[in-house]
Amino acid sequence: MDIFEGLMGGFATCLTPYNIWMAFLGCLLGTLVGILPGLGPSATMAILLPITFGMDATPAMIMMCAVYYGAMYGGSTTSILVNVPGESSSVITAIEGHQLAKQGKAGTALGLSAIGSFIAGILGTMGLVAAAVPLAEFSLQFGPAEFFSLIIMGMLTIIFVGGKSIPKSLMSAVIGLGLGCVGTDIVEGKDRFTYGIAELLDGIDFVVLVMGTFGIAEVLVSAEEFMKVEPIRVKFRELFPSLRDLLQCKWAILRGTLIGFIVGILPGAGPTIASFVTYGVEKSISKHPEKFGAGALEGLAGPESSNNAAVSGAMVPMFALGIPGSGATAVLLGALILYGLKPGPMLFVENADFVWAVMASMFLGNIILIIMNLPMVPLFASLLRISYALIYPAILIVCIIGAFAISSGLFDVGLMMAFGVAGYFMKRADIPPAPMLLALLLGPMMERALYQALNLSHGSMLVFVTRPISATLLAISLIMSLAVGFKAVKRARQMVQDDDAN
Amino acid sequence: MRKADRIFGVIGLGLSLWFYLESRKFHYMTDFTPGPGFMPFWVGVILAILSSYLLYDTFRRDPSEEDAKSVLPSRHSLYRVGFIFLMLFGILVIMPLLGFPITVFLFVALILLSLERYSILKSIGYGIAYAAVTWLIFEYFMQMGFPKGFLGI
Repeated sequence: MDIFEGLMGGFATCLTPYNIWMAFLGCLLGTLVGILPGLGPSATMAILLPITFGMDATPAMIMMCAVYYGAMYGGSTTSILVNVPGESSSVITAIEGHQLAKQGKAGTALGLSAIGSFIAGILGTMGLVAAAVPLAEFSLQFGPAEFFSLIIMGMLTIIFVGGKSIPKSLMSAVIGLGLGCVGTDIVEGKDRFTYGIAELLDGIDFVVLVMGTFGIAEVLVSAEEFMKVEPIRVKFRELFPSLRDLLQCKWAILRGTLIGFIVGILPGAGPTIASFVTYGVEKSISKHPEKFGAGALEGLAGPESSNNAAVSGAMVPMFALGIPGSGATAVLLGALILYGLKPGPMLFVENADFVWAVMASMFLGNIILIIMNLPMVPLFASLLRISYALIYPAILIVCIIGAFAISSGLFDVGLMMAFGVAGYFMKRADIPPAPMLLALLLGPMMERALYQALNLSHGSMLVFVTRPISATLLAISLIMSLAVGFKAVKRARQMVQDDDAN
Repeated sequence: MRKADRIFGVIGLGLSLWFYLESRKFHYMTDFTPGPGFMPFWVGVILAILSSYLLYDTFRRDPSEEDAKSVLPSRHSLYRVGFIFLMLFGILVIMPLLGFPITVFLFVALILLSLERYSILKSIGYGIAYAAVTWLIFEYFMQMGFPKGFLGI
């Protein structure tokens, strides 16, 4: 696989007027929806996913990737101007960016955020291209046993790293595995958990779950109170940071990009961890750590670059292995399946044109975003003045239309609403929905890999530990589990000791 | 959060029992490979362990600030969310009877009028606008085939 040749072919495909239009539309819609307070990139993609129904896979995926970038950018704008982060990866942006905005530097903060995101997006995409191809080539050696072990490792990492409570993340994942059991099983062709409902024979549609738990549930949480948003005003001429500001932040942007990309590749780590790690690094090496939390330019530029580079990093395992690295990439992976493609290493072999076109479109998407968003920020910011009371009914209607479009029936609409209710209470109880979503996607893949591996080994479980790659992946999973287990035991013992001391 | 954890612990135990009982309807193993009952069985077992731990932990741990948080929002927020829930599920019943545009009109107008305290005129105006735009895009142009009500639209 020649990377340069592949990428040039990708540019040739993505630079057609229609695909450029899709990238532009994705950036615009992603920014418009992502800017709404309380809606993160996962929810934005979930809400906008139905727009791509019926499209060819390449323009549809180009649009969804652009939506992702656009939503990240829109979320930063809201964090800086309103101090409402759409999701956890924008928390640092809200802390530092809003402080800067309050000091009258909203334009500088938005400009730095856009330029940092652009640099990180371009460098991150280069990293994605460079890392995904060798990884995909390496993973061509994977058999069912390796895939089973890889899925186990991916799921465990996502559970251990994401969410506040590991037992709750695990519960969410196990429920997702259970949901993945619904439908016709692959071994004997028997119907499981369908209860005679024909709509369930193909299993629970991923879109139904994602729109319910991310779309409807997020809207319900936001609609709990009358939301009155007072964004800080920003003028066009204030939007470009001075050369001095840029030079001051250049290393923070580059460090953020590197950290973000590496952290993003790790399954489950994603943009949130990346932005926090970068913030910690920037604060620790800064000559003025006291400025952090009160509007430090490096404290904004570093994490903002980092969370954008992590987006590209998270796409490495998604494209190369078919394993999503975060909740948002799980939505993208689900979209990929929806468009009729089979994720995994064979994607680079069977659908090389598609993969290269999508990767090339990420360069295009980043360029469109910076050209579109810098001058249009005041216009986007004015959207924040539209009452949320008028916006959320529209989002709910779009979700309903999206669920209806799956099978042209109301069953999926009802199921989506039920997941919306469940997702709402899960959010209230701090149970993260992302592991459930990932498990719904990965569960059937894991079951198939287990079936195939044991079939080939005539039922011998040793196949998972005698094959070197599989054994290594399982060993990593075991070490991770033990580390988390030891940490929990240590904490419990500390609590007992504290109790005794009191 | 303690109360929420207990509720979810009990729900988890119920779900685990359901998965376990369902798994018994299928073969656990075939000759060499897991049967259709394998996965639901283990989902049930692991869920039971996790739910029991969640429940046990609520009795073991000292109350924290997080524990003071309720799974339910304030009464006012609960009313708002409950109303939206009802309106959403109402769509399932009303759409086959009244058709897509009238359902959208009612959904938007009722939310704005009852929940957001908009005037009747504004609520009706926005309701008509939303219904017209969505009908035009999704039914007229995209021909999505929404249920038609007694008026034939």
